[in-house]
Amino acid sequence: MSFIKKYIEQETITRRNLLLASAYGVGGAAISSMLGGMARAAITDPTVAWSYRNRTNPYWNEIVSGGEAFVESLGKPKDFLTHLINEGSSEKSLADVKALLSKTNGELALAIDTNDAPNARPVVESCVEAGAYVSTLWNKTDDLHPWDFGDNYVSHMSWSDEGPAEQTARILLDAMGGSGGVVHLGGIASNNPAIERLAGLNNALKDYPNAELLAAEPADWDTQKANQVMSAFLTRYGDDIKGVHCANDTIAYGVLEALRAEGIEDMPIVSYDGNPQAVELVGEGKILATVFTNPHWGGGITAALAYYAATGHFKPSEEPNEHREFYGPTIMVRPEDAQAFKAEYLDSVPTYDWKDFWSTSNGQIQYK
Amino acid sequence: MSNVLTRDVLIKWAPLIVLLVLVLFFTMMEPRFFSLRNFARIGISSAPALMVAIGVTFIIIMGSIDLSMEGTVSVCAVVFAFAFIALGGTLASWAWLAIPLALLVGGAIGFVNGLVHVLLKIPSFMASLAMGFVGTGFALLLTGGDRIRVEDDLFRSLLTERWFGFPIMCYVALLFLLIAWFIQSRTTLGRNFYAVGGGEELAHASGLNVNRVRIMGFALAGIFYAVGALLAVGRIGIAETATGSNFMFVSITSVVVGGTALWGGIGGVWNTLIGVLIVNVINNGMVVIGLPGYVQDGVLGILVIAAVVLSTDRKSVTFVK
Repeated sequence: MSFIKKYIEQETITRRNLLLASAYGVGGAAISSMLGGMARAAITDPTVAWSYRNRTNPYWNEIVSGGEAFVESLGKPKDFLTHLINEGSSEKSLADVKALLSKTNGELALAIDTNDAPNARPVVESCVEAGAYVSTLWNKTDDLHPWDFGDNYVSHMSWSDEGPAEQTARILLDAMGGSGGVVHLGGIASNNPAIERLAGLNNALKDYPNAELLAAEPADWDTQKANQVMSAFLTRYGDDIKGVHCANDTIAYGVLEALRAEGIEDMPIVSYDGNPQAVELVGEGKILATVFTNPHWGGGITAALAYYAATGHFKPSEEPNEHREFYGPTIMVRPEDAQAFKAEYLDSVPTYDWKDFWSTSNGQIQYK
Repeated sequence: MSNVLTRDVLIKWAPLIVLLVLVLFFTMMEPRFFSLRNFARIGISSAPALMVAIGVTFIIIMGSIDLSMEGTVSVCAVVFAFAFIALGGTLASWAWLAIPLALLVGGAIGFVNGLVHVLLKIPSFMASLAMGFVGTGFALLLTGGDRIRVEDDLFRSLLTERWFGFPIMCYVALLFLLIAWFIQSRTTLGRNFYAVGGGEELAHASGLNVNRVRIMGFALAGIFYAVGALLAVGRIGIAETATGSNFMFVSITSVVVGGTALWGGIGGVWNTLIGVLIVNVINNGMVVIGLPGYVQDGVLGILVIAAVVLSTDRKSVTFVK
């Protein structure tokens, strides 16, 4: 049977060579076009694109609406913004970016969440090679920095959720009178924000010796799953549950409905994200606090940074590091200021100055 | 002969036995599992899934598969919520018309699904998967990514009002289960599903219009998806593009775990009821006994395989595709 084995091996090698050769060919062609790209000082009219998961999630919907508001501020129609939708696939994310780079010949201002951290490097490197300008949001590895890539990797913005989640946890624990059982319903277990938000709760609990974390389960940012997990918590812990710490608003909705099914109306709950519906619920006192990260602004400013760097409005390499890697803004929403907050941010979307990049930043990103 | 009989009987009742063993197991691990309130909670999480699973049961009996449920559920939920709010926002007004409208939309999507499958001769697997994506996309187009709240107390009494400890939505689900049972056992259409699933060529040769049965089956499934969508909206008071998420896995798993064979002709809606309960008992029980989150998915997968092995007669299967 060895001749079969040999044949398969041979075929594998031939195919691998073919793949390598074709990859080299494409790469070579790309590099030659890039050399032209690199020499370019500024692009007069770059394509503006946002690459993200999808619009089903209200958070990403807000992000993209910010991107659209930004292109409208340029006097362009909404659909001037190119949407690259990765549907949660890093491979698709990278492939789409490469396709758009060759279509636009590198004349691109790209805002992107690369879906997961490791994917940020190949995306950034492709953009830099093509002479395009890229700004990233949320995901990148700790060893990847904009200042290592000259002007083309413009910026990275993220949020540290541990601090704000700790604040909401303190509000929750105070509302519980500092004692009793807490349950936490988290995001997808491996997601960074999910980890940080649970860590925030644990930090707060250290100062409340009479309070206890009964359980922390992932609810995958999903209303229906949160509903089921909360129901099961009620079976397991019953009246021992005195407060609920939710990793985001969509989870809180499911928790509220699970409690409503049992006729429980006054359970202290805190959440995160500041979606319009959650802010309403905060106003009604059904949620004690949520944290607004202004995704609309985040989506707009990420695109704006890439665009204005591409057009030469500012030179990223001349900016300090705290302007290249920074934390986005956070606003705590409590029942007493929910109305004012809603009027300012939600009833009518504020018109932002898309050249004011850093005034609301929470400082340079710190690595542990 | 008597041996064969006991074996048959055993296989027939295996899913129920699996369910009882699971209930016993979780009760032993955590006595609080065995309480009326917890059964009501399992009932609430099962009701929408049961409707969707019943829909796909008909298709699987025919030996086809329907993967369009997530898109169909989302579209029906969103159309229902928009119509409900536009027509008055409470069941006490003309807004009740949103309910038949949602059923109609579900049936229509299923009908188109069936047409695509039969007329274009695309395998049901591919046709329905594609239609599901179309549905999700359409729901997104309608909502623009927003979520619509359905706050009417009368509609929400599906969840909040309880008879004998169980919310109304459980009884609604039971009613539709009985309707499905009636269709399956007392109508020509129901019997034709089995004829097609048991041997399509034979059914065709006997003069049965197989294509018509298939299209009707998909339309019927669509109507049941719409009922599932209504209950899902009733459960959380929100209609959105994500309303349909996860229904594909839960419903197909439930049907198979309940003992309905993927190759068609065997099983029925009562099997599906048991299957849905098995999956939801597992989901609820794992949290109740405090299994860590990262173990749960793995355990669910293993339990599903175990349940399928126990509840289907694998000796009668010559090959698995």
